[in-house]
Amino acid sequence: MHELSLATSLVDTLLEYAQKNDTRGKLLEVHLRVGKLRAISIEQLKFSYQVLAKDQFLNGSKLIVEETPALIHCPKCGFRRDFEVADDSYHFVLPTLSCPKCGTAAVLEGGDEVVITKVRFQASSKK
Amino acid sequence: MGKQSEVITSSENEVFDIELEADILKANKELAMENHAKLKEYGITSIDVMGSVGSGKTSLIKAIVSLLKKTQRIAVIEGDVTTTIDADIIASEGVPTVQVNTGKECHLDANLIKKALARLRLSELDLIFIENVGNLICPAEFPLGSDKRLVVISVTEGPYMVVKHPMMFYETNSVAINKVDLASAMGVNPSNLREDISRVNPKATVVLTDCRKMVGIHEAIQSLGLA
Repeated sequence: MHELSLATSLVDTLLEYAQKNDTRGKLLEVHLRVGKLRAISIEQLKFSYQVLAKDQFLNGSKLIVEETPALIHCPKCGFRRDFEVADDSYHFVLPTLSCPKCGTAAVLEGGDEVVITKVRFQASSKK
Repeated sequence: MGKQSEVITSSENEVFDIELEADILKANKELAMENHAKLKEYGITSIDVMGSVGSGKTSLIKAIVSLLKKTQRIAVIEGDVTTTIDADIIASEGVPTVQVNTGKECHLDANLIKKALARLRLSELDLIFIENVGNLICPAEFPLGSDKRLVVISVTEGPYMVVKHPMMFYETNSVAINKVDLASAMGVNPSNLREDISRVNPKATVVLTDCRKMVGIHEAIQSLGLA
C-alpha cells in the first residue's frame, strides 16, 4: 500500500545523489535491500518505480531488490531465528512476533530497512 | 585526513558501480525528528492515534478532549484521505483543528505534519493529537515525530485484528479496545484481544472503552500519562 511513497523516496534519493555528485549519463541498475518486516510487495514497488522513473537519468533503469530476513530474539529463552510467517499472501507477509519455543514476546532484530546498496550507471561524456 | 583522495575520471560509455548505503526512509525519519524537536521546544506533548477504519479514533479523541480541554490547551490534526467530517466533529469541542487530506496516500507522513504544525499557534498549546488515516498497516512505518502512539481497535472488527497486524502493536505505547458494549453481541472477548496484545508488546497499556457512554476514557487518559 505504501509502495508508491517508497518509490517516490527512492527516485528523490537517486536524483539528489546524482545532482550532488554531478553524475552524468544513464542509470542502468539500482540495487535495493528491503527488510522482510517492511511488508513491501516487491512487484508493486518495481511497478511504481517504472512509473516514476521518467527522468532522463533514471529512465530505463532496472530496480533489483534483495529481501533480507528479520530475526526474532527471545529475551527469556534466547531463541533466535528468522520469524515465522503466518500467512504468506500476495501482498504481504504476517510475522508472528512471539517466541515459537516459549511464547514470550520477542524482540525484533533488523528486517525493517529500505536501503540503496549499489547503483550502476553509464557515463555519457568526458568533462 | 592528509591523504589525497583518488580522482576518478569517466570515459565515454564506461560503466560504474558505486556502493552506497542510502536509507530511503531517512527523509521521513529526519523530518519526524525535526517535528519532535519543534514540539519539545514549545513544551507540547503529542500523541499519534492510529487504528483501522471505523474503530473509533475520532470518537476517542473527542471524548478525551472533552475531559481535558478545561485543564490543557489542545489541538487536533486530523488525517484522512478526503473530507473534513472528522475535523468538524472534533471542532465541535471548540479546540483548534487542522485537516490534512492525503488524497491518495494511506498514511500521514512527517512532511504533512510539519505543514500542519505551521498552521497552529504552538505557543498556545500543551497537547496535540494527530489522528492518522484509518489503516492498520502503513502508518506504523512512517513515524511523525509524536511522543506516544495510541492504537484504537474495536470489537466490531472481530477477534483477529491484533494477530493479523502485529507490527502496528509492536511499537505502540497504548491500545484502546473500543465499543466494548458490543462485545457479547459480536461474540468477541476483549480479554483475548488483550492477551494477543501482551504477546506482541507486553509494555503497551491496554484500556477498554465505550466512547458513546464515556466508559474507560479516564483510564485512556491515564494510560497516555496525560492526567
